[in-house]
Amino acid sequence: MIKLEERRASIQPIKSKLKLSTLDDEEIKKINQAARDILEEVGVFFPSEKALKIFADAKARVDFDKKLVKIPGHMVTEYLKKASGRYTLAGRRPELDAKIGSNEGTYFYCSGEAPNVVDLETGARRRAVKSDVENMAKIADYFPIVSLVWPTVSSGDKGETAPIHGVEACFNSTEKHVQTESVMDEISAKYTIEMASVIAGGRDKLRERPIYSLLLCGVAPLSQDKGGIESALVFAEAGLPIGFMSMPTMGLTAPPYQAADLAIGLAEVLSGCVLIQIAYPGTPLFISIMPAIIDPRSGDYFFGSSFSQITSTAAVQLAHSNGLPITTQFSFGGSAFKLNSWQMGIENVYGHLLSVMAGADMSFGPSGMIEAVTLLDMARILFDREIFQAIDIITKGVEVSDRTLAFDMIREVGPRGMFLGQKRTAEELPKLWPPSILFEKSKVVGEKYRNAEEVAREAIDWVLKNHHPAPLDEKVQQELRRIVAAADRDENLKRELKGRK
Amino acid sequence: MGNKELFAEMEQSIVNYDKDEAVRLAKMALQKGIDPAVAINEGFVKGIQAVGDLFGEGEIFLPELVMGAEAMAAATDILGEAIKKSGGKAKYLAKGIAGTVQGDIHEIGIRLVTTFLIANGFDITFLGTDVSTSLFVDKAKELKPDIILLSALLTTTMPNQKEVIDSLKEAGIRESVKVIVGGAPISQDWADQIGADGYGWNAPAAVEVVKKLMGI
Repeated sequence: MIKLEERRASIQPIKSKLKLSTLDDEEIKKINQAARDILEEVGVFFPSEKALKIFADAKARVDFDKKLVKIPGHMVTEYLKKASGRYTLAGRRPELDAKIGSNEGTYFYCSGEAPNVVDLETGARRRAVKSDVENMAKIADYFPIVSLVWPTVSSGDKGETAPIHGVEACFNSTEKHVQTESVMDEISAKYTIEMASVIAGGRDKLRERPIYSLLLCGVAPLSQDKGGIESALVFAEAGLPIGFMSMPTMGLTAPPYQAADLAIGLAEVLSGCVLIQIAYPGTPLFISIMPAIIDPRSGDYFFGSSFSQITSTAAVQLAHSNGLPITTQFSFGGSAFKLNSWQMGIENVYGHLLSVMAGADMSFGPSGMIEAVTLLDMARILFDREIFQAIDIITKGVEVSDRTLAFDMIREVGPRGMFLGQKRTAEELPKLWPPSILFEKSKVVGEKYRNAEEVAREAIDWVLKNHHPAPLDEKVQQELRRIVAAADRDENLKRELKGRK
Repeated sequence: MGNKELFAEMEQSIVNYDKDEAVRLAKMALQKGIDPAVAINEGFVKGIQAVGDLFGEGEIFLPELVMGAEAMAAATDILGEAIKKSGGKAKYLAKGIAGTVQGDIHEIGIRLVTTFLIANGFDITFLGTDVSTSLFVDKAKELKPDIILLSALLTTTMPNQKEVIDSLKEAGIRESVKVIVGGAPISQDWADQIGADGYGWNAPAAVEVVKKLMGI
């Protein structure tokens, strides 16, 4: 059974003893070159005058009418060298810092951002609201397998400023590092960074210990989002870490080949990296390439394919070959359109196992996501936790030492003996049976174990009632509320988000 | 070449996904003085129906459907202009306009929906992405579609689907058109909340919704 007791937040990356290399050196070189050829000859769409000007001033080839940027290979090399690939995604306390690029293992996100949620009381699906963001951030705060926290769902009750409310909800509900994927305009970026700097104790302190970061998803193939890019420039100005993500889908937004998928995805994310390094050299960066396929009968986006999983691990090598950390694996959301199906379990186990073995710096993970990241079932995080526990055990391999060869025990117990009554067995056996929601003993006659979904829901209820993340100082909370209220009243922001100037 | 053979070749050009050939045959029809509506109905529509049937049976997949729809669209672009001038009418199941709402540049999903609808015999005008509410309304007034398909892929642009519906009401044309919404963050609840007529959770589902709304 799992033991639930109140505790302060902690984080636990998974470091793999087992290593996986999907590509050899020659293959890495070819894909890197292909990405550079794409950047130089095909180009990337940047619908932002600011970005186009930055590229033009740095002597990239810019077509202002087509909003197309072509970046010569030497520029890619030159500017990537300036990127910081080793840095901290800070929590409120140093014990919660994710030390990126320091070989500590793979740090996992509780990410999202889904529009809908399974209601905790009724079990019905409904549109998510801000209190769901708060609840899920609190749950993420409790479980050590989560190191990095997003607003898991959208604050659907807050209108256009939902992303800002989501970030506020996370800041208040977890001590862990907060990242956003939905602050996709300059003005929202400024508001949320203002909140982060209040918490950190000022802009300089925020730069030293960045408790907040941005992941920006492009629009495959080879396009960036105007608001997103301009948001990234604001984050970079503040010295905050930024990730660029591409989601190239084989046969739809990428050629129907894994290698080309990687090349086109890499080109897209490197274009963002180069922009930021031109404008704000030294900005901490990471990338994310999420290969996928579609169902050829319907066009449905398909997360869980084996092709996607193995291609994603190759992206780890490509990132590292460019000196960049990487966030990988999104299959936690599953392609299964049935709550808690075995298909989802399979997809998530092997996908994340491969990522950890490949040495991913970060990975999307225990988030309670279902149905291609459109639905949050909070209790699902307990199932995710089971998967990561298994991965932790598997990737630690086999410890071989005098102690674990236990010759002295074997000699003492001898042939036809039993090891069960040994003191060392009493100490070690519980470690071989880690806490699990799957094997809670049932009190029902004829039933060996309790229904795991019920156990999971009870655990979530317990966490929500009993876990109390260290609150922010009341004055800080007040200031965050003031900032959010100002954002809610900001007519410029409303116009920006509606797509009108 | 007689008209019968020409229509057969038009049908075959779509079945072969041959855009260039479809365009050549469309131009030939005009040169021969064939009624453009007849050329579409007797030639090209039969081709896209054949493609749609093969897709429905699982004999071909999306890439072929897209290629067939593109060949169809290329031919009907040529003939459509001529039809307008002559006042004729091609035999489509219904007419629609489609696009991604303002502030949103995602288009793959709505393009797939458009392709599926064309392959199923609908006349769909794709307006593009980041389409302003006023353009949706203007095009609705100009083209008098039976259906309007609105796509949004971001929770921040979803509200613009409601804005289009409200603007159609203000313009006094809401009742003359069926509005179908879609996109990753969209749900049936959202569609009901904003007064849409239908919600398609993927491209095939969107076609079924449209057919049901059109009584087909």
